[in-house]
Amino acid sequence: MRTRSSWPSPAQGAATVLLAGVLVFLLAPLVVVAAASLGPGDRPYVSFPPAGLSLHWYLEVPARYWQAVGVSLAVAAGTAVASVVIAMPAALGLVRASFRGKTLVALLLRAPLQIPYVVTGIAFLQAYYLLGSVTGLQLRASYPGLVLGHLFLATPYAIGSIAAVLARLNPRLEEAAASLGASPWRVFRRVTLPVILPGVWGGALYAFIISFGEVPVALFLGGPGRTTFPVEMFASMQFDFSPSLLAVSTAVLLVSFAVLILIQRAIGFDAVMRAGSAR
Amino acid sequence: MRVRWGIVMLPAVVLSVGLLAASQLVFLRTSFFRDRGFGLVDAQPTLGNYLAIATDAFYLNSLYLTVQVALIVVACSLLMGYPVAYVLTRIPARWATLIIAAIVASALVAEVIKVLGLIVVFSADGVVNRTLVALGAASAPIKILGSITGVVVGLLHFTLGFVILLLFSVLQTIPRSLEEAAGVHGASPLRVFWRVVLPLSAPGVITAGLVIFNLSMGAFTAVSLLGGGRILTLPVLIERTMILETKYGMAASLSAVLLGTVLLINALAALAVSRSRFAVAGSPA
Repeated sequence: MRTRSSWPSPAQGAATVLLAGVLVFLLAPLVVVAAASLGPGDRPYVSFPPAGLSLHWYLEVPARYWQAVGVSLAVAAGTAVASVVIAMPAALGLVRASFRGKTLVALLLRAPLQIPYVVTGIAFLQAYYLLGSVTGLQLRASYPGLVLGHLFLATPYAIGSIAAVLARLNPRLEEAAASLGASPWRVFRRVTLPVILPGVWGGALYAFIISFGEVPVALFLGGPGRTTFPVEMFASMQFDFSPSLLAVSTAVLLVSFAVLILIQRAIGFDAVMRAGSAR
Repeated sequence: MRVRWGIVMLPAVVLSVGLLAASQLVFLRTSFFRDRGFGLVDAQPTLGNYLAIATDAFYLNSLYLTVQVALIVVACSLLMGYPVAYVLTRIPARWATLIIAAIVASALVAEVIKVLGLIVVFSADGVVNRTLVALGAASAPIKILGSITGVVVGLLHFTLGFVILLLFSVLQTIPRSLEEAAGVHGASPLRVFWRVVLPLSAPGVITAGLVIFNLSMGAFTAVSLLGGGRILTLPVLIERTMILETKYGMAASLSAVLLGTVLLINALAALAVSRSRFAVAGSPA
């Protein structure tokens, strides 16, 4: 038998208002960006609600924004792949291995979470300058340089995401496979990997999102031709604000949501959820 | 055949710890050199930058402002996030899932896009100000952007999702029957909350508070844009010192002060938790 909700009605009303208020606060800025992007092109400033509907500002988006989106996609994809490649063995070791100093290793692997992004940006830039002056290798304003910086930010999340799934895996499954003659690699490919895959996807997704959204590190490590989308937006919002910023933001927003829905269909709500609360 | 997991993880650990050590050591070393301008530094290491920070009211005010803003954001996001998370555990699961999906989706959007929306909403001729003026609540548009209020609102928008998701996962684990049992024995709803729900969720509250504190102390994008160049917290000041003034030594020293403050407060919080009565309920993960 279904029981009626035990909320007395004033409490029920307060709860509804509370939830509605939070949703409006969190979602209204996004709705406003999308709506204002459709404004008419006869005035070079933002108006909400829009005075009319047109796609004017979508046609006026300067090429450098789309270029910056391309840079961000490349860096974020590189970061997602690299962080998962590093996080998988690290998570396996953290969950399975027993050696002296494991607590310290775990602490060091989590350390980037405590470091403010601006500090990471400064630290990597100064390290790149030093490396450049010693070896002549210039990592600033390069793809490897940007990916390395974002890798530092994202890997702890990827490790956390994979380790969380790994900790729930019954080791008997692997023992059974091994006792039936499977090599360690085969055990990993056929038993371990399929089970931890949601954690891997969750980690990769969150690494991608950090890289695609983060400003301070890419601000320091980027440069001509290697400016990421958030950094381009950040600079424009300070120095040359134009409604075309709304248009390019809305395009990115729509694509992000479409991709999120596809991922959610493919690997389930849990993985997306894990990414959202990876801290 | 037994797998040596310690060996398997070795390359990953060497790379991660290598990146950590290399970057941190380089900037900490730079922090001991005085700037000569244009990115050049003196040859002799000194404590000059740190002495300048410790004696200059400008830098001390910035440190104070950073901690102040972070504490306000922690308090506001916990006070707003806790009831929301609690309500989410008490409504039908279908609704809760839908609302959480919306919160996750908004948490995953690039911060610059959200800040752009907040600027449109809170600008002098934005929706909020026009509504306030139309309702007679304000005689003229209130200056929200470029003030601490604007910065706090922007950071809340960024942290609230985290807090709700974190506290929801904690509150979900508290069995409903505990509250009912306390109620049956005559405890008022307030007393049930104070003596049962709050203590059981305290570790989660502390964890969430620390996460938000760390995020807010390091917050750069939202503070820069919504502060309009007037709210100079340490992260904003560090970026200016490094890029506009090209004082690499000073930027490194300010970074060290910021990092040191964050680590110190985290350590103090961990110490306080281990000594408090909540320690029995489990330490923050």
